[in-house]
Parts: sequence; structure tokens; C-alpha cells
Amino acid sequence: MAQHLPIPVVFVPRNSFFHRLHPVPKLIWAVGAIVMAFATRNPLVLLVLFVLGILFIAGAGVMRAYGRVMLVLFPISLSLIVFQALAPAFPQPWTPIAGFGPFTIYQEGIYSGLSLLLRTFAGSNFAVLLVLTTHPADLFTALQKFGVPHELNFMVSASLQLIPIVQREFQIVLSAQRSRGMRATGFGAAIPSMVPVFAGTIERVQQLAMSLESRAFGSKGAKTSLREVRASAKDVIFGLIGIVVTVAVTVLVLQYQAQLDWSKTPFMPDWVSVALVAVAALTFIAFTIALWWRASRE
Amino acid sequence: MSNPIVSIQGLSYQYALTEVPALRDVSLDIAEGEYVAVMGPCGAGKTTLCLSLNGIVPHMMAGGVEGKVIIAGQDTAQTTVRELARTVGMVFDNPEFQLSQVTAREEIALGLENTGVPRDEMIRRIDEVLGLVGLRGFADRSPLAMSGGQQQRLAIAAALAMYPRVLVLDEPTSNLDPIGKEEVFSVCAQLNRERGMTIVIVEHEVEVMATYASRVVVLSEGRVALNGAPRDVLRQVQALEAVGARAPQVTELAYRLEQRGRPVAEYPVTLEQALAVFPAEGVR
Amino acid sequence: MTTPPIVCDALGHEYAGGVLALKPTTLTIQPGEVLGVVGQNGSGKTTLVKHFNGLLRPTSGRLLINGEDARPRPVHDLARHVGYVFQNPNHQLFATTVEAELRFGPTNLGLTPETVAERVQQATSFFGIEKLLTSHPYRLAFPLRKLVAMASVYAMGPDVFVLDEPTTGQDHAGSNMVRKLIERLREQGKTVVIVSHDMALIAEVADRVLALWAAEVIASGSPRAIFAEDRVMQRTKLYPPQITQFARRWAPASTRPLPLTVAEAAAAVLGEER
Repeated sequence: MAQHLPIPVVFVPRNSFFHRLHPVPKLIWAVGAIVMAFATRNPLVLLVLFVLGILFIAGAGVMRAYGRVMLVLFPISLSLIVFQALAPAFPQPWTPIAGFGPFTIYQEGIYSGLSLLLRTFAGSNFAVLLVLTTHPADLFTALQKFGVPHELNFMVSASLQLIPIVQREFQIVLSAQRSRGMRATGFGAAIPSMVPVFAGTIERVQQLAMSLESRAFGSKGAKTSLREVRASAKDVIFGLIGIVVTVAVTVLVLQYQAQLDWSKTPFMPDWVSVALVAVAALTFIAFTIALWWRASRE
Repeated sequence: MSNPIVSIQGLSYQYALTEVPALRDVSLDIAEGEYVAVMGPCGAGKTTLCLSLNGIVPHMMAGGVEGKVIIAGQDTAQTTVRELARTVGMVFDNPEFQLSQVTAREEIALGLENTGVPRDEMIRRIDEVLGLVGLRGFADRSPLAMSGGQQQRLAIAAALAMYPRVLVLDEPTSNLDPIGKEEVFSVCAQLNRERGMTIVIVEHEVEVMATYASRVVVLSEGRVALNGAPRDVLRQVQALEAVGARAPQVTELAYRLEQRGRPVAEYPVTLEQALAVFPAEGVR
Repeated sequence: MTTPPIVCDALGHEYAGGVLALKPTTLTIQPGEVLGVVGQNGSGKTTLVKHFNGLLRPTSGRLLINGEDARPRPVHDLARHVGYVFQNPNHQLFATTVEAELRFGPTNLGLTPETVAERVQQATSFFGIEKLLTSHPYRLAFPLRKLVAMASVYAMGPDVFVLDEPTTGQDHAGSNMVRKLIERLREQGKTVVIVSHDMALIAEVADRVLALWAAEVIASGSPRAIFAEDRVMQRTKLYPPQITQFARRWAPASTRPLPLTVAEAAAAVLGEER
């Protein structure tokens, strides 16, 4: 029976270079990308980092899974541009570019919104890559060497397993209540459908706890691991490149901070800025309506 | 009984916030290699009895306890559930509720990792127990993609990997279809017969238990009501009925015939015995 | 002649992705009939009965409820005619009192408060649960919880009951209670569809048995006829009740009706003609 995981950010089994890579160098890149993304607000630097992440993701053959995540996150994130353009998180005075009635778009806002958006995605791309290409158990086996407790491995994998089960359980409960004439799918359906799911989950967790305890879960003393994670030369090299790139980029962007601050520089023609805000606003609104419509249907 | 593997001595137990005890002064010895079927109506204390065998009762439950449970020389009150895990394997009624890992292999490895079994030994044991429950070739399957019978056999394999001496199963077939039930019953019978594994199983299917069990224990309102060989316990049609249990259909047949004035030499409890007691019509 | 409450006209179901869950099935369920549906998990029996109240919609063929095409009617509307009792009562029960649980269904049907009260009263007395009305459903023992789940469907006043595994998880007394309830539903002229692995139950209460295997109804007939057919039993990997197995081996060539219950077997052994 096919099990469709409802959460999009999970391990996608493939046999790419990135899949075969040791989890630690991937973790170095993920942390490095976040450091770099927060070291600068320059849209061009962030864009380069963003594109590099996309290239890695495409190289790992997990573009579809990534796309599914973005389908949800991207339209929501576009609101950053809209709100920032109208009310920049920046010290005044702001430079107005255009106005529609009560709304004024500011240069600093465009800059701020764009860098926040790119920062979010440039920083998270590598973390998403890590999750999509690493078996959770491998990641935690590797992390265990750094002192992360064994139980964490279990907690993560068990919760991942629980999600599709709870979702299916929810479908059964919903069917049971519809069979009792329940019409509402919105707020009115909340208690009749949530209470049984919640009670069932508690029962399930209790039995799982007993089953785990019966298999010596949480024992003191030495633990062993079925999964073996070995590092080879390519893992070391990839990890070192990650460290070098992170350090170099961070040092450079901090050194040239003044030149890279484009908050007062009109780096785009005004009409492009206006069009960007308009497109972002429309996409965000359309997406919100689509979500609402989907939820209000059965 | 000399040196029983399970020795329950005057055990009483009452869960917190409940009004009646779940177990009342239960004493029961089980020898190594026995196959014990525990029966009785809902609320008779069957699950509590199972949970007391590896210390979940009283360690993981709030409640008041009296008496003692000794498992292979260890007093469960003085031993943690985790330590008892090496002696007693537990299988619960809902196969899905016990499984938490992405593949069958990792599910079985879980207990071994917890007790620090070396990796090579782990791999050997995983192969071994998958073979024992007839799931060779399923190592990389997701437990979620298995049938109920396969899931329950995986749960048994995960318990067996710890090399327990007693396997306790609490209504392991209640959520399974007939094929799944048959799979679980035959795995348990094989473990008992070929490996001398002590089996304690809570099961409503009295016809099946009559053929597999070496002993039947019937609980009623927290007490041991009947206890003995299937042939001795299950023939007591009225006594079973009185405590909310029932006899196999062939035994009930003998009882009815006797009630209607036809003497029956010996009460059968299995189909084969029934065919011996009532010779086929053509032969008569 | 009364209209059959459920008619499947070449009803088939294919899941998204092309998995055939039920081959086209033609079936007429008569008013007042007690129909047993048997087969292993995945054989299509739940898929079949989930169509009866619209939880699933046919991907081919038609379903007629009281002679009318069910297609345009949503589940909450079909619930007036077909009551579906789920296997696990925990999936249904959510309220803080049994009485609130009983009111839920009829209230959803849009009945007046007086009618709702009347329905609750009828269900309470039919199931004999007067003493439980103020109890919390989750505090009840499993057999009683199951009873409340059945009562909550009964309160909606359907003509057809679909009971999914009514005896699973029940003890001896619970199973007997289910048998009695089915008999009483039959006396009230209700149509009952039972999906079950409990062959003794099916043998005792069903007028007709449908045996499914691999998404297909492979046999339909009286329990006496179905349990006597080795071919069907072997193919579906089902076993008749022990007493029936005994009777078949005890008198293999007998032309007498095959005993399905202990009482019938006793009569056969005593050589009574029936």
C-alpha cells in the first residue's frame, strides 16, 4: 500500500553524490549557508548563494521534492516584499519610489524585503538539501558522535512515522462523523473530529512507550548502532570547502560592508520595483484565496 | 513446580483512580517451555497480568501493589523494565502502535542498539529472527506498508531479537484477519515447539487455544478462576459460562448431548478429539 | 413489492493510481435481509460497503438507495437511510456524555428538538443503556462503548445498518449481545450488512453471505451453502465455524442440511430430522 507522506521535507532516497556524502560535511554547508546569509543583506551576494543551493539540489535529483516545499513557502514569503516595501524595517528617512492612494513604496523597503526573502531561501536551501538527501538515522548517528543523545534519533524518526498514521486516523474519524450526518467541515467539525484523533494518539503513544520500554529503550550504558556512517576523502574535501567558503565569504562581506549596502542605491529601475511589489501582492492574495477555498471545500 | 521461570505470588494490583482492583491475590507458577493461554471476559485482569510479567506494572503505571512477581529469579519490583527486557519479550494487541521505525531491519535493531549489542551480532540476529517469523526478505520494507499479520510478526521478531526466555502476547490477533491470525498462531506454536520458548498469550479464540496451549488460565474479576491443562479446564462448560468465558464449540456439543440424555464418554476440546469421540456417522 | 434499499449495478471502484479495489459488482439487498460480507483484509469488502452511505463513490456503475441514484446525495444526507457503525467505537465517540453522543446524529439530520429527544429515547430503550446516559463514553468498558456507538447510529433512524466487525475486541458476553441486537434489528424489519471475520457470528445470524477475494465477489449464497463449498473456503482462505467443520468431517456424504450451530449439530448427532 502506498503511503504518501503529507509533509514535504523528508528524505528522498536517490543515489546521487549528495546522498552518498557523509552527513557532517552537508551539515557544515547548511550551517555555513546560514552564517553567510546573515552576514550580508546584499541581494546580489544572496542571489549567488541561493542559486548555488538550487544547483546542488538539482544535482542531487531532489528538485521535485524541493519544488513541493517551495510551492507552499514561496507565495507566503512574497508577503515579505509587500509589507517591507510599504513599511520598511529600516531607520527613517525612507526614499519614496511610487504611491497608490494611501500606500507608498519605499526604496529601503524593496531592498529590505528582497534581502529578507533571499536570505530566508539562500540560508535554508542547504538545510533542505541536507534533510532531503540524508536518512534521518544516518544524520543522528553522525550527530551522536558529537554528543547528541541517542533518544533524539528515535524521537525524530518516530514522529515522522506518526504523521502519516495520524493523518489516516483523521480521515477515518472524519468518515465516521460524516456517517453520523456531520456536515460542517470547518470549525463545527473540529471537536467531533479532533477529540477521537487526539484520544487515539494518546493511546498509541502510551502503547508505544510500553513497547519501547519492553525493548530496553532508554537503558544506561553503551549503545550500538546498526547504521554505519564512514567518512572518505571526498567527504573531508567537501566539508573543508564548505568551511573555507563560509569563512572567506563572511570575512569579505563584512570587510566591504559599506560598498555592499545598497539600501540607498537604486539598483533596479523604479518600474521594476513597482512591478515586483505588485506581482508579489497579487500572488500572495491569490494563494491565500486558493488555500481558503480548498479548506472550505470538503 | 521446581524452579518456575514465572512465579506470581499473591499478586494484587489496583490502578490509581479506579474503584476495584484489577488483580486480586493471583498466584501462578509457569515452567520454562509452557504455552499458557490466558482467557476471561473484558475487565478480568488479563492485560494487567501480562504487564506485570515485565514490570510495566507497577513501574510504568500508577497504582497500589501487593505480592510479588519473580521472573527467572529476578523480583520485578527490584528490577527495571529495561533489565527485564532481556528476559521477557512483549507483544501488544495493536501491531501498528508498537512499530516506530522506517524499516523492519531498524525496528528489530532498536532493542539491540539499546542494550549495546555489537553491530555484527545485530546483523546476524536480525537475519535470524526475520527467518523465525517467516519475514525473510522483508528487512528493508516499511512496517507501514505491511499487512497486519506481517506487522504483528515483525513485533514478535523485534521482541525475539533480545533473546528473551518468555514471550508475552496480549491479544496479538484481535486486529488481524484470518490469514494474519493463522500466521501469528503458527509462529508462536513453532517457537514453543522448536525453541522451547515459554509463551503466555491472551486470546479469545478458544478453539485455537485448545489445540496449541499446554495450559489454560481463566481469569474472572481479577482472580484465577480456572487453571490447568486445556482438556481439564475447557471441558467445564458451565464453569466457563459462569465467569463469562466459553468452551470450544465441539465441547459445547458434548455438553448439550449429555443434557439431552445421550452419554458422552469423554468431553472433547479439539476437532480431532471430537471426531474420535463421535465416530463418523457412516462408521457407526 | 417493496423497493430494495440497496442495489449495486455493476458497481466498481478503482483508486487513484489505477489500483482496482472492487471489480464491477451487481447486487440487490432485500429489505429486512441480514447480509454477511466475508473475506480477508484487502479483498474489497470494506470498499464495497463504504459505497452504501457514500463514503466512497463508484468509479464505474451505479448505486441505488431506495431505488434512487445515490450519486448526487452527500454522505450526511445518505446517513438518513444507511447507518454505518465503524469497527472502532473510539473513532466515533467524542462527546462528554452518552446522551450528547446520541443526540449528535439526529441533530445533524436537522430534526426538531422534540424528534431528537424522541429518537434518543428510542435508542436508549432499544439498547438498554438508560443507566449510562450521563456517563463519559471514554470511561466505559469496550463492550459498552461499542454499544453506545451502535446506539448513536440507531438514533438517526436508518433502515439499513452497516456493522463493521461488530464482535472484534468483544468478549463472550459482548459477542452474545451483538447477536441479540442483530436479531432484534431484524425483528424491527431493518436491513443489516455485517462485515466480519467472525464466521460463527455470520453462520448464526446471516441470511446470505457474500465471499470476496482479490477485489471480487466470488460467491453469494446462504451460509449453509457457502460454508459447504470447499472451493470457496480454500480460495478465500476462510474457515467455517468449528462446529461446521466437525459436522462436515463427521458426516461427509450427508445430504441433510449442514449444521451451522451447536444446537443444529446436536440435533444431527441425535439423528433428529429437521
